[in-house]
Order: sequence, then structure tokens, then C-alpha cells
Amino acid sequence: MKKFFAIVLAALMLFSLTACSQSNVAVEEAAPVESEAAPAPAPTAEVEEGLLRVAALYDISTMDVAQTTDNYMVPMNIFDRLFEVEVQDNGGTEIVPSLCTGYTPSEDGLTYTFTLREGVVFSNGSALTASDVQYTFERLLTAGGVNDDVPLEVAGAEALKNGEADTLAGFSVISDYEFSITLGAPNAGFIAELTGPAMSVVDKETMEQVTNFGIACEDTIGTGPYMITEWVVNDHYTLEYNENYWGEEPSVKKMIVSIIPDASTQNLMYQNGELDIIDLEYLDSAIVESTYKTNYADSIISGSRVGLTYLAMNANNEFLSDVNVRKAVQMAIDVDSIIASVYAGDAIPESGIIPTGVWGHNDALERPVYDVEAAKALLADAGYAEGQISFELAMDSSSSSNTQLVYQIVQQYLKAIGINAEIGTYDESSWLDLRKSGEMDAFIANWTMDYNDPANIMYTFYGSEEKTKIRSLNYADEAIMARVAAASSITDDAARMAEYQALEQKIVVEDAAWVPLLGNMHLFALGQRVADFVPYWAGYSNFYAKDVVLN
Amino acid sequence: MLILIGVAMLIFIMLRIIPGNAIVTMMGEHANPEAIVRMTAELGLDQPIHVQFWKYITGVFSGDLGTSYSLNRSVSELIATSFPNTFRLAIFAALFAWTLGIVCGIIAAVKKNGILDHLFMGVSLLGVSVPVFMVAMVLQYLLAYKLQLFPISSGSAGLIGYVLPAIALGWNSAGSISRLTRSTLLEVLQEDYIDTARAKGYKQLPVIMRHALRNAVLPVITMMAVQLSSLLSGAVICETIFSINGIGRLAVQAIDGRDIPLLQGTILFSTALVILGNLVADCLYSLLDPRIRKEV
Amino acid sequence: MEKKNIMDAPVLYDEQNTFRGVMKRLFRENKLAILSLVIIAIFVIGAVFAPWLTPYGYEDIDPINRLSGLSKEHPLGADELGRDVLTRLLYGSRISLLVGIVPTIISMLAGAVLGIVAGYMGGRVDSVIMRLADIMLAFPSMLLAMVIMYTLGDGIINIFLALALVNWASVARIVRAETLKLREAEFVEAARSIGVSNFKIMWRHIMPNCIPSMIVLFTLNIPSAILSESSLSFLGLGIEKPMASWGMMVNIGRQYLYNNPELSLVPSIAIMLIVLAFNFLGDGLRDVLDPHLKKQ
Repeated sequence: MKKFFAIVLAALMLFSLTACSQSNVAVEEAAPVESEAAPAPAPTAEVEEGLLRVAALYDISTMDVAQTTDNYMVPMNIFDRLFEVEVQDNGGTEIVPSLCTGYTPSEDGLTYTFTLREGVVFSNGSALTASDVQYTFERLLTAGGVNDDVPLEVAGAEALKNGEADTLAGFSVISDYEFSITLGAPNAGFIAELTGPAMSVVDKETMEQVTNFGIACEDTIGTGPYMITEWVVNDHYTLEYNENYWGEEPSVKKMIVSIIPDASTQNLMYQNGELDIIDLEYLDSAIVESTYKTNYADSIISGSRVGLTYLAMNANNEFLSDVNVRKAVQMAIDVDSIIASVYAGDAIPESGIIPTGVWGHNDALERPVYDVEAAKALLADAGYAEGQISFELAMDSSSSSNTQLVYQIVQQYLKAIGINAEIGTYDESSWLDLRKSGEMDAFIANWTMDYNDPANIMYTFYGSEEKTKIRSLNYADEAIMARVAAASSITDDAARMAEYQALEQKIVVEDAAWVPLLGNMHLFALGQRVADFVPYWAGYSNFYAKDVVLN
Repeated sequence: MLILIGVAMLIFIMLRIIPGNAIVTMMGEHANPEAIVRMTAELGLDQPIHVQFWKYITGVFSGDLGTSYSLNRSVSELIATSFPNTFRLAIFAALFAWTLGIVCGIIAAVKKNGILDHLFMGVSLLGVSVPVFMVAMVLQYLLAYKLQLFPISSGSAGLIGYVLPAIALGWNSAGSISRLTRSTLLEVLQEDYIDTARAKGYKQLPVIMRHALRNAVLPVITMMAVQLSSLLSGAVICETIFSINGIGRLAVQAIDGRDIPLLQGTILFSTALVILGNLVADCLYSLLDPRIRKEV
Repeated sequence: MEKKNIMDAPVLYDEQNTFRGVMKRLFRENKLAILSLVIIAIFVIGAVFAPWLTPYGYEDIDPINRLSGLSKEHPLGADELGRDVLTRLLYGSRISLLVGIVPTIISMLAGAVLGIVAGYMGGRVDSVIMRLADIMLAFPSMLLAMVIMYTLGDGIINIFLALALVNWASVARIVRAETLKLREAEFVEAARSIGVSNFKIMWRHIMPNCIPSMIVLFTLNIPSAILSESSLSFLGLGIEKPMASWGMMVNIGRQYLYNNPELSLVPSIAIMLIVLAFNFLGDGLRDVLDPHLKKQ
């Protein structure tokens, strides 16, 4: 009997070996035909007409934008904003009217008067009026307060938030379809900020009746093209077309978002036709390269990503406090080679802080030239011996394998100029804690824009001493930070742009405080049932279902 | 009951020593600091630990396991929606494992040292030694992906979606059950009363069915109860691979999201299940075997 | 020293319980166990000499050769970061063997001491220890290990602790049962009657007689620890990146099942082989050392 076990064992080993080699033979055979991309996977079973099936890695925690800064999939689709950002055919973006049809700013740039679209009703039949918009602003300040950056700019917002006032002083309702907003300080980016998902407009009357807004489907009512009809927590949620929608009827009548935490499962599901759109961001770029670009090349949609990957350096670090060291780091990294090897070419090099695609981006800014010898010479001249400089590159262990690869490549580049960068691995929340303490030596991270205005990144990173500390930058120049904070109130567009670009020049080129790396494309693969799809302008994983056209 | 309180206390203490701020992870990178401070106070996370525990344990007894940070729902509600899925998976897996295991065990015992015996026992040892995720992956790859006989994700596919995960989950248990059935049956078959039955001229199969199996089933039942715990453990992996919204996946998500109330709730609930399973097994045992009743 | 202790007290089971005697009988009776030993030895050699067996380091990335498939440079392929799979497999066997052996030793020692003390002392000591063991045993082991890993964070030392904490209770139970039997044995009573201290009795008389069954338990607990670690790593809770662990390799390789099955298959097969080998060895040792354990 024991002998038989041995035979079974041996047979099994043989089997597994042949299984291995067989599959590899298959790969080799497949290789020559890789230029002919196969059609997108078709579903094996009949799928309901007008239904869009997508997957998310995590369930949302709420549908209420006052409680979250990232669960935007449902709010984007069931609510409307006053203005929206539309992606143009040439890839550029433009702010277009949505619930508002127009606005007029005052001379001093402080007061805006808005005209509301008439005849818009919420999905429960309640009419949209200016008081609903007022309610939306006030609610963001009083309930939750996670997402109150935009309404905080309105005059009197602090008083309302602290409970010193009952209403938002800067907001006045002129008539049902007209209202005006007065800001505390001029802000040229205000209209752009109103397009952010946080500014989703809710209905005052409904809100006063319901008890479970953001959680119960029947309580969560918007004016958008869809209604939330079902939410089985941690399993899936369903959006269906809102018959009361004021705009054009979309091609997608129903969307089911399944919660599939495992990216490998999503990958197989797409290939088996169980998903109509897959967000390739969830998958590794190597799999995108090896499977999607060869087998489904014609089905890949590339969305611009308005945001960038950067390397942050802590100016409080013993070595990184020296501008020569920072300049050497800037010169040591070959971004083009990273883009070719890690991102398979699906990325563009970035040269500043304000990413490509954002208003105010400076095309003329040159990124530091990759030059190992010059970097070495710089360090030698500054009096450092080879191997003397060392610091930690702190990595969030939950970051994508692409980012992890970038860490390791950067480490090797730094080694080439004699800098020892140790990669330290932290779990997500320890990583965040460390970064916010201002003690992290250096790290690589991504920023995706919340709204299309340079303040969103410039102010967040360099707006005050506190802000640079929680990003572990500890930028020292207070005069520059004061200018960053003041820049958002410049009303003249050209002057404002010039100021941002001058600041960017100072921070990135002169002070070498920041190493811009790249902006990678956000890729999606479409199933056979999808004819067209326009990803959200900023490159979120969330998107508008109305921007999907089914076959 | 005492064990359950001990379990609750142990998890509670363990989960309070973790580093990192769950609230920050929960509210997202873009949230502002005051909101985080307010949320911490709202959730009572700034109170001393014994106060928190007392609040928790009194809540548990009234069925309130707290509110999940990451999913923003009551933990009891989340468990109530996901438990039926785990239960279904475990039942199918157990049915598969027990039927296959017992049938193979009987055949192997009857045909002792025959080719079937060797084959089954070889495969069953393999069953015990193969990691759950490997079986799951191979099944998913071959039957769902290559042959497209089953859906890849089981969540929305109805009962057919449970076939592969149940097999993957039951595989290990099938191996150990068949080995156990075989060895106990072989022992029983050597007892005198079986010889007597045979001598009376009964045929082989009825003898096994009527006399031997009844006595051989006892250790197997104990094993089944013990396996409840390992089924729940394996379910964590199967649910992750096949995307089933069950308790195990909930626990994994709780860990990913640093969601302490959810993690606490899922562990406490599954531990209670295991304790219950052991109780039921003890009862069954004494029902089936009068001799035990006195000892207990 | 161990041997001397065994000689001191009467050994109940077998005269030939020396290492040499055991090996001899194993070799005579169970060729498969010997084959298993050879397989284990191969993995041990691979683990110890990994740096000399391969030109690469386990974290050497090579962006050009990502997922390049089997080739002369990378006999088992290169992973998603271009790291050599064979190299990672060899280094990974360090983790798997350590994770199999270290926590098992810890849990065996802790379990044995607690089990002997509980069994021999009886009374309140016994009930406190066994209640504690009951609590630990009530947890579904995988979930408990997950919570411990979550609390302690990633890292190999933490895996040791987690698995040791999960496993000591079952060891304690078995050793206690053994001790209860031994306590009534004549030679123990004799020792007691001449006034030998409790500590001495436990250490000199009971402990040595538990050793054969503990060796068997040890060999059988190793594969289950290896499986647990691979499952934990598969769920992303385990050693710190970029260290290699087989479970982690399978998990990451799963995405590439379509074009690069070697990434997940190779480590899966490695896990299976080593677990099978330890199981066979354990079975063989049990037959040789401790025939009565087989019935349990």
C-alpha cells in the first residue's frame, strides 16, 4: 500500500510537470499571433438589454458626500452638480453648465450670481429650487464636515460651522431660480471647485423628511440620470434610470456594481464576459501588458489621469535638507526608462507640481536632465563621500505593484550615484501616521486632482507650515508658502497663472524640494457589449454611467 | 458561555493594541483633521479601555455588536446578510465532503488492499496535503475559466455558483473523513459480532450497512464537528477567491479596512458557531451511543 | 542529555526508541517515509544553500524580464517584477521550513509543560489551564491567526507567535490526557511514595514518556503550520515584502494564471510536496513509535 502512495506521488509530480510545460507550449504557440488582437470577450449567457455590469474592489460606506471623500460612484450618478467638467474630443476639459445654466461674477470677484435650470425635478418628483442649493451648502458645513472645503470659502461659513449663526450669511436666495454666493476672499477657481463630486445637490424637502439619507436607497434622492434601487452591503448595488431626469436619456438603463475584492477574480470575470468594463488600474501593469494589450488591444480605453506620481523629500532630514543632495536626487532618476519598463509606455513624464491637464500647467517647465555623472559630481563638490548619504524610502505595503516596482527602481538609481536609500515597508495606516507626523524621510505617492484648479495641489502641499508638515515635506520658505496661500485669491486669470508658475519654478527648480515623476494613463478594458466609454476627466475609478454607450 | 466571554475579552484586548489610526484609514486621505478628531470622540475611542469593553460586552448581550467603520452599518446586520452565504457554502461543502469521504472510506475498507483502496487513500492523503487555495484556483481555472461550465464569481450566480467553492472547501475534509471512516470501519469489521452476523449468513453489504457502519460512525461524527472550525477557516479563502459575500470575506475586509468592530463581530460570531457545533456533536454522540451518556 | 533522562526512568513503549533504532525500523517498514525524509532534506539543503545555488537575490528586480516565462536565465520563470522564481522558491523554503518548525517547537514546549502540569497537578491549576485551552480551541484557527497577525503586524517573528498561540492548546490537551494515564502508573506512584518532588516526577518520569507521542505530534503539526502560513500569506497577512514566501508567491502569481501559470503553480506544488512529505513522515513515525496513537 505504501508503495502505491509512492506511485501516486510520482504520478502527481509528473502530472504537474507536464501541466506546467504544456501550458508553456501553449503560450509559445500563441505568441506569433499576438498582433491579431482577439475581439473583446462576449458574455456566455444572455444579458438583459441596457444593463451595465461592472465591479469594484470595495463596497462604498455611504452615498452621502458629507461623510466621505472617496466613495463617489453613487453620488456622481444619482446627483447633479451646479456645473460639470466635460471631456472634449481633443482630450481637453471644459466646464459646462449642469443644474446652473449660467453665472455672473461681480467686479471685485467676491460675489457670483447664478441662474438655476428651470423645470428640474428630483427622482421623487420634488422640484429643484435655489433653497435646495442653499441647503446643500449649509448641510456640508453642519453635517459630517468631511467635505466642507468648498462651502468654507463662502462668507460666514465659519460662523455657521461653529454654531454662531443659523444660516450661511454669504448665500442669498434671490428667487426660486436665482441665488448669489459671496466669498470670504476672491477665488478664481471657485466655479471649477463647484464641479467636484462633493458639491452634489440634495433636496431640502426630502432631506427634512427622511431619516436614513446616504444609507437607505429610498431616502437617497437626487436629480441625476440614475436612482439607487438596491444596495446589498458588501455584495452589489444597482442603479436604474431616473424617469424624471432632465437631460438626455442615457444608453445604460441599469448598472450593477458587484463588489469583487479580489483583482484576479475580476480579471477572469472580464475574460469570461461577466464584466462589461474592467478598471485595469486594479490589475498589475505586467498583466495588462501580457494579456490585455495582446489579446484585447482594441478594447482598451485610455483615460487621461489628471494627477501625478511624485517623490517627496523631507527637508528636515539630515541629508535631504541640503539643496545639492535634492538636486542630485532629481538628476539621478531616469523617468523615461521607468515609464517604458514599468508602465509599458502608458504614462507621460511630469516636470512640475501642477499636472498635465490642469489649468495652469506649465508646458515650458523642463524636468531635470537625467545625468548620473553630474549628480555624482554635485554630491562630491558638496563634500559627501560615496555611500555617506542614506535615508529611508517609506513604502505603503498596500500600494500597487507598479508603485512598488518604482520604489525599487528608484532605489537602484540612487545607489548609482552613491546614495543608500533603504525601502521601509509600512501598513497603510502606520504609513499615513508616520507621514502626518512629518518624520518620513522620503516617499513616492500619487495625487489625483479633486477639481481642475492648481490650488487643489499647490495649496494642499505648500499652503502653510502645517500642510507641508503633514505631507512630510517640511518646506522651509515661509514667504513662498504665504504666496501659495494668497495665489488663489488673484482674480486675473493670467496674473494668477503666472504666479503659480513662478512658485512652481521656485519650489521645483530652484529649491529642488520635490521630484516630479510621471502621470500614468488610467486604462479600462471594454467588453463586447460596450460601444463607447468616456472616463471621468480626473481619471477616477468612479465614472458617469451616462458616459457609457452600449451596443 | 464563560468561554464566549473569555473569547470576547481576548479579541477585545488584542484589537486595542494595534498601531495606526483606524479613523484616518476610514475617512480617506482627503479628510480634514478636525473631522477626524470629532469622529474619534463620537465613536468613544478616546475613553479608557475598560469602559469601552463594558460598553461592548453589554452591547453584545443585547445583540448589538457595534457599527462597522468601513461599511457604516451595524455589524449584526452585516453578519445577518452574509452568514446565510457562508452557511450555504459550508453545508454544500460538508455534504460533498461527507458523502464522498464516507463512500470512499467504506469502499476502501471493504476492498482492503485492493486497487480502489490504494487509489482512494492516495488521493485522500493528497486531499489533506493540498492547500485550499490551490484546489480553488485549479477548479476556477479549469472548470470556470477554460471550460466555462461555472461562473467565475459565485456572488450573483445562484446555487450553481456554489458548486466549485463547495468542492474546493470540502476537499480537505473529504480526505480526512475517508481515512477515518476506513480505519474505524476496519476495526469494527474485526469485532466478534460482525463475525457472528456473517456466520448467520448475512451478505457482506447489509452487514456493513446495518451493524458496522452504525458503530463506525461515532468517531466520524466527532470529526465532523471538529471540522466545522476548519470549514469556517477554509471558507475565508474560498469566499475570497470566488467572491462570496460571507463571514470569512467580511473578516478579511475588516482587516484590510482596519475595521475593529467588524473584525470583533465576525470572530466572535464564528467562535460562537464552533462552540455550538461542538455542543451539537456532543448531544448527537450521546444520542447515538448510550454508553457515553453515563460518562457525561 | 535528553537520552540520559529517558534512560533514568522506565520507558513504557519500546526499547528501541533511540534515534538509530527508530531510523532502522522506519527504513525497514516504511520506505515512503524515507523518501519523504529525502524530499525534506532536499528542501532543507535548498534553503540553507540558497545564496550559493542561484546567481540572483530574492529581491533582485529585472524590469526587462518581467513575466518572461521559462528560460535558460530563469529556469522557473520570472515574476511580475522580473524576480527569478527559482531563487524566490529557494529563499521561500527558508520561510516555510522555519514557519513549520519554530512555532511548532514553541507550541509543543508550551503545550507540553502546561499539559503535564495540568494533568499532574489537577484541581484548580488544571481547570484554569484547560479553560484557557478551551477558549483558544473555540476560535476557528485561521481567523484567530488572522487577528493575531493583524494586531502584531507583518513579519516572520509575528507569524511564529501567531501560529504558536493558535496551536499550543491542542498539544496541551493531548499531553494532559497522556499525563493523566501516566500519573496512575506504578513507577510514578512508587516515586511519589518515596517522596520524590512533584517537579522531579514531572520532569524525570512523565516528560520522557510523553516524548514519543510528542515527536509524532511534532512531525504532524509542522505541515499544518506550513499550510496555515501559506494561507495567511495568500490573504496578504504574513511576512514583510519583499521577502519571499510560497503562499505570497501563489497569491501574486494568481493574476498571471493565464499566461504564466508557473508563477502560482510552482510554489503551490512546493507547498504540497513538503506538506505531503511531512505527513508521510509523521504517519511512518507514528507507526513505529507509538502504535496506540493511531487509534485516536
